Amino acid sequence: MPQLVTVKVNRPDRRPLRFWVPVLPVALLLFPVVVLVVLAAIVACLVFRIGVVRALGAGWRVISALPGARFDIEHCHTAVLVAIR
Amino acid sequence: MTEQRKDILDMLAAGKITAEEAEQLIAALERDQAPAVAGHDAKPKGKVKYLRVVVDATDNGEPSRVNVRVPLQLLRAGVRLAALVPPQALVKANASLSDSGVPIDLTQLKPEQLEALVEHLDDVTVEVDSPDATVRVFCE
Repeated sequence: MPQLVTVKVNRPDRRPLRFWVPVLPVALLLFPVVVLVVLAAIVACLVFRIGVVRALGAGWRVISALPGARFDIEHCHTAVLVAIR
Repeated sequence: MTEQRKDILDMLAAGKITAEEAEQLIAALERDQAPAVAGHDAKPKGKVKYLRVVVDATDNGEPSRVNVRVPLQLLRAGVRLAALVPPQALVKANASLSDSGVPIDLTQLKPEQLEALVEHLDDVTVEVDSPDATVRVFCE
């Protein structure tokens, strides 16, 4: 499961912005929202006749596989980096 | 110097073969050894972990760079998630793709085939060079 998401934004003539987002504390903070999202996903699975357990398992696999992903985009003098650890 | 190369040079020194024949023999020896060396240096299978997409482009004279690293595990997980897409959604997607000039039948695409594709991605390197952009897709 992802532990830390790093976001860096470099803009011309401005101080670079850096955020380190700890995933677990934020997920705990947003727990009610997470529960609502899971419930909505379960309802969607039932409506479209998809196996709920399979769908939740596949979703969890996607989240678990996120560490190591890195997106680095630079254009002109602006750069955005998102790294998931 | 390898033993075989030394033998060839000995034969040349002894006058048993001509310089031209020695050259041909050494060239053949190098051809035989090249695949073995390449095989030794090749990445061990199953060791690659990431798919990298690097795009270097120039947009109106300004340089742009996109560097994306995606874990292969994420691609595998995505394939499993895509396998859950209901058939009626695939039919709609097929129609949209057809309208866009991409006649691909997604219902014929099996998860096992996609997983096999991901498994063999480590052998793939795609490089596209154009005057304005360079695109490289590879595994590391």
